[in-house]
Amino acid sequence: MKKNRQPRHGSRLISLLLSFFLSFIFCSADAQTITGTVTGEENKPVNGATVTIKGTSKATLTNINGKYSITAANNDVIVISHVGYTTVALPVNGRSNISVNLLRGDQKDLDVVIVTALGIKRQERKLGYAATSVKTDELVTNRTINVGEALEGKVAGLNITPPAAGAGSSTQIRLRGQVGFAGSTNSPLLVINGLPMDQGARGVDGAGNQRDQGDNLQVVNPDDIESMTVLKGSTASALYGSRAAAGAIIITTKSGSKNSGIGIEYTSSYTAQTALNYMNQFQTMYGEGTGGLRPTSQASAAGNGQFGWGAKLDGAPTPIFDGTLQPYKAYENRLFDYLQTGTNFTNTLALSGGGAKGSFRVSFANTDAKGIEPRDEYKKKIFNLGLNQNITDKLKLSLNINWANEIQKNPPQVGTQGAGSVNFFTRLAPTIPTSALKNSAFNPGNGTEAQTSGFQGTVLNPYYANQAGQNWVNNRDRILGTATLRYDFTTWLYIQGRYNYNYSVSTNESRFPYGIGTSVPTNADGTYKGSYNVSTGKGTDVNADFLVGANKEFKKFSFEASFGGNTLRGEGNSLNESSSNFVVKDLYSIGNGNVKTESYGYGKSRVNSLYGLAEIGYNRLLYINFTGREDWFSVYNPLNNHVFYPSLSASFVFSELLPRLTWLNHGKLRLAGSKTGSANGVNTYEGLLNYGIAASNFNGQVTATIPSGNAPNGLLTPFKVDEKEIGLELRMFNNRVRVDVSAFKKVTTDQVLSVTLSNTSGYTNSKANLASLRNSGVETMIEVTPIRTAHFSWTSSLNNSYLSTKVLSISPGVNDFLLLYFNGTGNEFLGQIHYTAGLPMNQLYTRTYLRDAKGNIVVSPAGRLLATPDYKPIGSSIPKYTGGWTNYFTYKNLSLGVFIDYKFGGKVMSSTALNLLRQGLSKASLVGRRDGENGIVFPAINQGTGQLNTVAVTDLQGFYADYRNLQIGDPFVFKSDFIKLRNVSLAYNLTSLVNKASYLKFFKGLTISASVRNLAILHKDLPGLDPEAIQSSGDVRTGYENTSLPTTRSYNLSLNVKF
Amino acid sequence: MLTIINRLILFSVIIIFAGCDKDFVKINTDPYAVTSIDPALLFAGAERSFNGAGWETENTIAQQFVNPFNAGATQGPNFNADIDNFNNGRWEASYTGTGASPATGGIKSMVQAITLLKGNTGSVNLLSMIRIWKAQAFMGLVDEYGDVPYFEAGKAYTDHVFYPKYDDDAAIYADLEKEIREATAALNPSGDYVSADLFFGKNAAVPITTASAQVAKWKKLGNSLLLRLGMRYSKLNPAKAQTLAAEAFAGGVMTSNADNVYVKYDGTLATNTANLGLINNNPRFYYAAEPFVNQLKSTNDPRTGFIVAKFADPNNPLSDPNPDYTIANQFGVPIGVISDALANPPYRGTRAGGYNYSQLNVKCVASQTAPTFWVTYAQTSLLLAEAAKRGWIAGGDAAAQTFYENGIQADMDSYTLYPNGAAISGAAKTTYLTDPAVAYNPANALQLINTQYWIANVTNGTEAWANFRRTGFPALSPNLANNNLSGGFIRRLSYPDYESSNNKTNYFAAVQAIGGTDNLTTRVFWDK
Repeated sequence: MKKNRQPRHGSRLISLLLSFFLSFIFCSADAQTITGTVTGEENKPVNGATVTIKGTSKATLTNINGKYSITAANNDVIVISHVGYTTVALPVNGRSNISVNLLRGDQKDLDVVIVTALGIKRQERKLGYAATSVKTDELVTNRTINVGEALEGKVAGLNITPPAAGAGSSTQIRLRGQVGFAGSTNSPLLVINGLPMDQGARGVDGAGNQRDQGDNLQVVNPDDIESMTVLKGSTASALYGSRAAAGAIIITTKSGSKNSGIGIEYTSSYTAQTALNYMNQFQTMYGEGTGGLRPTSQASAAGNGQFGWGAKLDGAPTPIFDGTLQPYKAYENRLFDYLQTGTNFTNTLALSGGGAKGSFRVSFANTDAKGIEPRDEYKKKIFNLGLNQNITDKLKLSLNINWANEIQKNPPQVGTQGAGSVNFFTRLAPTIPTSALKNSAFNPGNGTEAQTSGFQGTVLNPYYANQAGQNWVNNRDRILGTATLRYDFTTWLYIQGRYNYNYSVSTNESRFPYGIGTSVPTNADGTYKGSYNVSTGKGTDVNADFLVGANKEFKKFSFEASFGGNTLRGEGNSLNESSSNFVVKDLYSIGNGNVKTESYGYGKSRVNSLYGLAEIGYNRLLYINFTGREDWFSVYNPLNNHVFYPSLSASFVFSELLPRLTWLNHGKLRLAGSKTGSANGVNTYEGLLNYGIAASNFNGQVTATIPSGNAPNGLLTPFKVDEKEIGLELRMFNNRVRVDVSAFKKVTTDQVLSVTLSNTSGYTNSKANLASLRNSGVETMIEVTPIRTAHFSWTSSLNNSYLSTKVLSISPGVNDFLLLYFNGTGNEFLGQIHYTAGLPMNQLYTRTYLRDAKGNIVVSPAGRLLATPDYKPIGSSIPKYTGGWTNYFTYKNLSLGVFIDYKFGGKVMSSTALNLLRQGLSKASLVGRRDGENGIVFPAINQGTGQLNTVAVTDLQGFYADYRNLQIGDPFVFKSDFIKLRNVSLAYNLTSLVNKASYLKFFKGLTISASVRNLAILHKDLPGLDPEAIQSSGDVRTGYENTSLPTTRSYNLSLNVKF
Repeated sequence: MLTIINRLILFSVIIIFAGCDKDFVKINTDPYAVTSIDPALLFAGAERSFNGAGWETENTIAQQFVNPFNAGATQGPNFNADIDNFNNGRWEASYTGTGASPATGGIKSMVQAITLLKGNTGSVNLLSMIRIWKAQAFMGLVDEYGDVPYFEAGKAYTDHVFYPKYDDDAAIYADLEKEIREATAALNPSGDYVSADLFFGKNAAVPITTASAQVAKWKKLGNSLLLRLGMRYSKLNPAKAQTLAAEAFAGGVMTSNADNVYVKYDGTLATNTANLGLINNNPRFYYAAEPFVNQLKSTNDPRTGFIVAKFADPNNPLSDPNPDYTIANQFGVPIGVISDALANPPYRGTRAGGYNYSQLNVKCVASQTAPTFWVTYAQTSLLLAEAAKRGWIAGGDAAAQTFYENGIQADMDSYTLYPNGAAISGAAKTTYLTDPAVAYNPANALQLINTQYWIANVTNGTEAWANFRRTGFPALSPNLANNNLSGGFIRRLSYPDYESSNNKTNYFAAVQAIGGTDNLTTRVFWDK
């Protein structure tokens, strides 16, 4: 009922807005040509000054004599600007000649103000640390469902990895490396209008049927973003204390501007996504079967569907799993036959207004997306309100409310064995046609899944799941509210109080039909298999803070100081109910289940903080900045529950000393050091052992267990991050060249780690303060404007970051920490991930071929593979070099963006490649059975003879299965390097064209744009897959590829209209 | 708006004046968590934890069961392969407890319960039961793996031992002997009654409601376990075996099926998960093994139909309304033959979705509602038969025959407890006991007795396999699928692979201690 009414609200709003802009239609005036001369110091003409009509894209440059000419309406305002001069805005007001003498400005255009920690706006020149403002218009033209994805490659030091996990999935955001081992929050803190929030990626660490459930960044609509600042170093974020140990991303949404009148903006964007097929490694010579023989009956076909060890393809009718005879030939594109075109249709309507005392902006955005996996849907509605009001001259109120509703249906199951279309289509012999998988998905008798392979329980036909009604729906609402009151006592002293409210509620429903992966529909008691689960969770984070701020200048000195406090109160609960053993067939509900389980979770925590900053500046030349913060945590032992975080930074604007170097517009050296820390890794109530009462009695007897595998440790302390950085900023040649270089070293110690125990201890893990690691690196950004004429300009920006990571220590006497033993999870196949002292972070390990002293591979006397007894490190999953190269070309009203990005220096291990080989499905598995071959003679030293191996192994299936059974990873380790032509966009600003018609003057802006994302992979090493198709956005399975969804190419068309 | 200002002021005041961590202890206390427990409930949870890995491991090694399909990962004992999947079952069930429904505990639950009972003088019977049952759990672990963590096991929370050392298997056995002896002696008829005990408590299959009756049962259990433990020494140290068998017998072992240690399942809230795989995925992969079926057939064993059957569709045995239970029609899958070969002569070919061979009777002995037996009168009586035959207890062949026949009959009687089971008539028993291939014969008594032990433990693979290794009976032929075991049998399971990473130092020390290789042919200490 409620849902049905929403569109009507929308249409009412639209008609209201329409009547608004109709009233503007009749107030336009005729255009006329304005000419003038622009002069500067000593009345010399200024060459290349920009002349624009305010609110439009109409622009021109002055010529060598300082003269310009431009068409403008009588009520237009002309804006004239040039580097080093104060910008002026002059209403036309009946004039046809507007000349101006520009004043040497206080280099105001260099005094860019950016939003820093605690929302304090500060001049960039004063900052002693690296902070980068994101070009928010690029987020709009380069639109992605999750705004995080659009940031990939844009900011030096910010490594974004979008997993291939369907519509509405999360992204991995790592700033200056991974600050802690897996288990801590390694993504930067998101601060939205002053409201601090973890990225909170959900369902990304790959347990069971993994479905990526997105993150908190996607509740922000890119159209609403006014500014986005990436505070890279922990110095920058020291004021946020424990939650910003990994840096912070400060987002401010729009709230209109004063004296702007009423405006309406409408943006519509449509994206189509196609799956990219790099799967060129399937073999197409041999069909289903084992031992070189094709299936001879339905039974053998159903039992061997996973193997491509059959006979040579000849097109002869051969039984398949459903008993029909099908031509014995290869069907290579089954996965892509199954996948569909994804779409994303987003519309944003915003109304803004501003008077003398305040301004507002209200917007509503609707996103309707479909993934490439059938039935994967993502719908999002975002309502955003921003309001600024001067209650009195001294008292100012700001209010921001953001409400987001997301409905996510059937996100694809990726990354692990079991459910998931990729697992299915990449592990099935090539000779089974899609049509049969689709049309014979059911066992005719009892409605269970028709068996397609011997891996009946772990290679599941998605056509069955879809047709049988497997369903997974998550419905989330999140409200972010911020109210700020600021009182200015004088021009130099203010007090501010703020109340942040972050409320989220999520309902999840999942239905698992009885027949998936089995041929028996019923349980021992005659009830139907399958399960139904419904859960709800609610969470509230309240932040309340105050800040007293003062700044004052005495002659050549400037002083700035702030002092504040914050309390964070978090509380959440969850209710989970499941049922199984259904009495009525095909009815999935709690009521129908004969076995029900329920659980209630609750958590409450608090962090109190006090903080302050002080800055002293001298003569616009040197700024020294000190910050300090103390946090008290409720989750820690009272004996050791607080941490102090100091930071010290300096900014030295050396160009002030070099006025004669006219080519140097600005030069600054930065130095900073800080200590921060984090409570991450410790949850509420973790210090005590909990018992579990069994959900159901055993024959009437109550029983109890210790359900958690975690052995509690009540003596944990917060971990610490120590960071130092140095940076250089240069602007040269009329600001046409900009260089920004930073080098940093960040050491993390005393992390709270979940240590893997021997399960003979009774527990599988325990948390402890252990290990230190180092992230260090260099970030460079070079921006040049090689061409800038009146009609054409080209700006080019190259950013690169080099990241070196190293695990410094684990614990006394221990040098290695096993994060995950993939093959031990029961769902995965290959290798391990470790943290090893002395090696880079996220070190992948595998057993390798056994080698002799000379390094030759050794095989057994029978010619079979042998493995090292130990697992060996084979490289880090973290790329060393990441970056991007952005080019913008503008010609009159047309602009073209070309964006290339890259990552180099990481490793990936592919279980898909392993399974394809051992199941005889990949081209690699042809070795030993190609024409003229009778078995594989592995090139190695034979252990029996000590000579080059000459023994042919004819049991190819057994030979290749040894890779899995012995866990030899050599052939499945690749570089994850890539260079991608990430994005090409074309935008055309039609405003001036439309405005030529006098009755269309009410258009303040009209732009259409088109873009293509993931246009091409210019370089990669990983065969058969896009190297970006490998990861979940968590830290546990980084560098491990297993049945990942293909990546996509998207085509976008957008329209932006302003009235 | 006023509320917000008020709250701001309130919070500021709290922060500045009221201390920055006031109430934090209270805030960090979970109001809903169960942080104290009756240790008897932990014990009850753990009682069911200690099964073997099941059909595809122990029963396969003991040639009662076979999965002839080699799908790479389903290689295992059926093809003499050392595959982690098949080795880890008992390890995980014991040390951490399994996820069976309702969830079970493991050694950690019992270690925690013992810790909670420290200083509690009123719970001597509960403590004794836990000690006995913990010994039973470790006996199975040693029998399957040899050296395992024992003295330091299960103590991550109580003693912060995260990486337990492996102990010498013989040393563990010595301590188990001491534990069983001490705990059995400590049981006190006028002490505490443990109502929660799943075997002999209020809600047991045969409910017991008084401490004295319960203690009587547990004393028999303790002595029967001591007998089992003692008999394990028969090869290594016959004198010790004799002493222990005599001691156990004198102490009073199980004397009827009413003493059996087992649980029943209701089939809904609790099921016999060991049998789940037989009907869930690929039922046509699973068959009774030829040596076992041949033993039943050649003696016209009246238990045959309860244990094996031929189903119309091997891939959906449960749906067959009329399985073929005729003894003469039963055929087991030969050992070491791969599935593809079974389709063609000399083998019996295919039937419906599978092969033309007998499967386990998933409606009876291998049903999800079949009870689980740990220690039985049948086992005990057969062990006594051997002890008597060897002269370790009094009575010679006459006593041995009585124990032998009692053991067989007790096992036959237990089939009434299975779904679709039934009483085996006295006449049928007599016929069987007088069959020339079954009747007690002093000349080959040990073979007869231990062949019966093998049949009586068809649902307890750990015992069937351990007893086969100890006695060499029944006379099975090695699996010749390949030469992985140099023509021998699997003598132990290799340790879980993850121990080489999760408990590296101790794991490699243990591998050295057992002879340098962690494989399937190394022998546990009593199997020399």
